[in-house]
Amino acid sequence: MSFSDETLMAYADGELEPALAARVEEAMRADPRVEEAVRRHRALRGDVFAAFAGVLDEPVPARLQPVAAPATATEPASKPVSAPVADAGTATVHSLEARRAARQAQAARPAPARPRWGALAASLAVGVLAGALGWQAFDNAGQAPFGRRGGAMVAQGELADALSHRLAAEPAQADAVRLGVSFRDRDGAYCRSFMLGTTGGFACRQGGEWRIPVMAQAEQAQAGAYRQAGSALPAAVLDAIDQRIAGGTLDAPAERAARDRGWPGGK
Amino acid sequence: MSNSLENDIAALLPRLRRFARSITFHREDADDVVQIAVERALTRSAQWEPGTRLDSWMFRIVKNAWIDEVRARVRRDQLFAPEEEGEHVGDDRAEAQQQRMAIEQALRRLSEEHRMVIGLVLVDGMPYKEAAEVLEIPMGTLTSRLARAREALQALLSDRTRNKE
Repeated sequence: MSFSDETLMAYADGELEPALAARVEEAMRADPRVEEAVRRHRALRGDVFAAFAGVLDEPVPARLQPVAAPATATEPASKPVSAPVADAGTATVHSLEARRAARQAQAARPAPARPRWGALAASLAVGVLAGALGWQAFDNAGQAPFGRRGGAMVAQGELADALSHRLAAEPAQADAVRLGVSFRDRDGAYCRSFMLGTTGGFACRQGGEWRIPVMAQAEQAQAGAYRQAGSALPAAVLDAIDQRIAGGTLDAPAERAARDRGWPGGK
Repeated sequence: MSNSLENDIAALLPRLRRFARSITFHREDADDVVQIAVERALTRSAQWEPGTRLDSWMFRIVKNAWIDEVRARVRRDQLFAPEEEGEHVGDDRAEAQQQRMAIEQALRRLSEEHRMVIGLVLVDGMPYKEAAEVLEIPMGTLTSRLARAREALQALLSDRTRNKE
């Protein structure tokens, strides 16, 4: 007797009625291949379940708790969460940006309890990370991509050039700098996220310089089987952007306009 | 609005977060989607019929919240590939940890439909019938989709094992 893979899967999931389940069990005893197929279904199920089981033990962030009034100060109740407009993508961008804004507004928001990236204050990070990564090698001109001005860390060399002149949509250059999103911070300064090798951060234009409030090291992808190494902005950096961003990220025309005007604004 | 609905939704939050984690690409996205879903649910609480399954209804709202957000996310992620789980940088990773990351990575490579069905049946442990209700598809479709999703996931994980050797 042979059963389809779907039936064996349903058996492994406990979804078969008792009579059919009994016949599958009979087949398992008679045929090791059937038994093996069921075992594989169970193993995959167990592995996938185990991979996410830990989420149940995490503390639920306060912002997710249902509250009597769904509207927040930053999102009036009159605004539909998902407006049926021509470009649904745009509408949901607003929705997510509103979510970020709401998150910022929660001044008393508890620190996330989950284990996370080692976020390093940029002023402390430069020596540690520069040594670890051999940043000097990234810059053909022989200038390190980071320097200090007073207590602040600033971009220089190729990194500063890329931040000042290159648009995110432009194809990758030979150097190790990749640009991400551009936005204005709450002081009105333009900021841009970047990856330099496996290090992610963002820089804000202040006093004619690109100051870097936060950087963190991204993880190397395992085995390179699924994705390029170091292409993701570390969560600590995303969080820091969430804390500072005013409104949304710039779209390509806005980014170009800001670049062409020399990233004006800021204190 | 009754407090009991809010309490019942609050009790579902760990499961909703776990499901959202399995269908999104970023941790923050997962919580954003759950937050959007909770707000939508409260706004539309009149649409929920007491006596019917609250969890199916909530999972469906989470699913739809994510689908509505997908295009925006894809746009946001054009420049940076999906975030890695990086909290164990520098640690000696246990085999379980590697396994977990491999599964998360493989899930991200599945189609939207396949991630959904895996997220409901394997991650949440939902019976087929309820999962079909959440996805608003017939049982037969659910079963065949689940079988294909598992096959695809298994293939991705086997590739990884081969690459490691």
